[in-house]
Amino acid sequence: MIKNKKNELQKFAITLPGFMLYLFFFIVPLIMGILYSLYEWNGISREKVYIGLSNYTRLLTDIRFTSSLSFTLYYTFLLVFMTIFIGILLALLLNTGVKGQNLFRTVFFFPAVLSLITVGLIWNEIFYRAIPSIGNSLQIVFLSKNILSNITYAKYGILFVNLWQGVSIPTVLFLASLQSVPGELYESARMDGANAFQSFARITLPFLFPMISLVTVLTLRNGLTTFDYVKAMTDGGPGGSTETVGLLVYNKAFLELEYSYAITQSTVLFVIVAIVSAIQFTLIKRRSEV
Amino acid sequence: MKNHFTFVKICSYLILSIGIIIVIFPMYLTIVTSFKTTAESAENFFSWPNSLFLGNYVDVINSNNFLVYFSNSVFVTVFSVFLIILYIPAFSFVISRSLKKQHYYRFLFYFITIGIFVPFQILMIPVIRIMSSISLMNHSGLSLLYMSYAQIQGVFICTNYMMTIPTDLDESAYIDGCSIFRVIYSIIFPLAKPIVATLGIINILWIWNDFLLPLLVLNRSKSLWTLPLFQYNFKTTYSFDFNIAFAAFMLSIVPIMLVYLFAQKYIINGLTGGSVKQ
Repeated sequence: MIKNKKNELQKFAITLPGFMLYLFFFIVPLIMGILYSLYEWNGISREKVYIGLSNYTRLLTDIRFTSSLSFTLYYTFLLVFMTIFIGILLALLLNTGVKGQNLFRTVFFFPAVLSLITVGLIWNEIFYRAIPSIGNSLQIVFLSKNILSNITYAKYGILFVNLWQGVSIPTVLFLASLQSVPGELYESARMDGANAFQSFARITLPFLFPMISLVTVLTLRNGLTTFDYVKAMTDGGPGGSTETVGLLVYNKAFLELEYSYAITQSTVLFVIVAIVSAIQFTLIKRRSEV
Repeated sequence: MKNHFTFVKICSYLILSIGIIIVIFPMYLTIVTSFKTTAESAENFFSWPNSLFLGNYVDVINSNNFLVYFSNSVFVTVFSVFLIILYIPAFSFVISRSLKKQHYYRFLFYFITIGIFVPFQILMIPVIRIMSSISLMNHSGLSLLYMSYAQIQGVFICTNYMMTIPTDLDESAYIDGCSIFRVIYSIIFPLAKPIVATLGIINILWIWNDFLLPLLVLNRSKSLWTLPLFQYNFKTTYSFDFNIAFAAFMLSIVPIMLVYLFAQKYIINGLTGGSVKQ
């Protein structure tokens, strides 16, 4: 009995460091952040002025914030959609019994192990130096200038780079789900006279669905909190057209010293990410219970 | 029917090959540019280098404290991952054994897992205040942050794995008089090798490649920079001598590339398996 008690105490002791670290570096800052958003404060001075929800009402009329938020949402929507589309396409092609499937998989997965900032910086140089020279020699006007300095198209340059790296993991995940579909199902569908499209919609898609929800959650998070690529390639420019909320929060807090207002902006991001994750989690849960 | 089939095959190979080219293209340019002089690149950005020019590498290594940044990256990654794989499986084991019986452990599990819902941006500003007020704006502080945040996903995937290890093993060990530490490190760890490996891989890649946390914690003191931070600051300092920048990119990619070549299977399984269970 005494031994048992000692054991329980040791178990409790093991949990303490992790619990404390989590409390101190995660929960406390989270609560501090939400509290600071009710103050007017630059992060340096001793004085904090309580202003209630003024920071939040300021958000509504702050054009820089609303355009940053709508850019982030638009970007994330495209990112999720394209990631799923390209991921499934590549997985389907890899699953047709091509020779060297493993080699293809190795190469397609490789971008996943690279640093986002390195990838961003490399593509930045390519957009600046390599692509325009291709455009010039092929006489394609669209490619002859750096896409990242074009106020309308810069976002698609960043999106492209994000996809270049971001489809690697989803492709392997989709391929794994495709490989779990029993071959007999296709066999009997073909005997019943189903065409390729019908068997894709009725057999393949239901098997892919859990993975589609999962990839959606992962990609949504990445999209909504995009920071590294933008920092590496455009730093929010040209003309603020690629300033994601993630970058805006950083700029406001550490460069423009509007500390408490920056936290208010990130609270909005927090609420959106939390809602999105909650919806997706219940979807996955319901799906796996069926 | 046969013709239709070969047509589909040819299209598959064609699209997949285009995909391969798009993936390899920037890697090819990075490699060739790092071995060319600026004049050579200006002449033709895409060509194979005329000679194996190592000047860019020599410049990066000699003149920019590169070795300091490299060893900073190695230190932060090794130290953090060491803490993570030593502690998180033990923590998760304890939780998994009492999750169903005691409220405290169930609370811990959900309390930590719920962190998945929180984007880092909301806490980064207060975290930096806390870190600077307790003078932890350095490598140890950074490692503590990695350790704290690695728990959010780590405890989740490890606890689920630990639940699949039969309890008779540890219970009979307690009866034989083993201490809990002995049980964890000599009985449970060997059985949990796959999940410990996954945990290690996910976190090695995350920490080696991470930019935001080092930017927040280490940016003020140049001597503490890690490689991603060095590369980023390189962009502003050496915007004209881009061949040197490409050599710097190569030097941080090569270690990861070597690891990928040798441990490819584990890395793919680790990264995909980890996210499946998230």
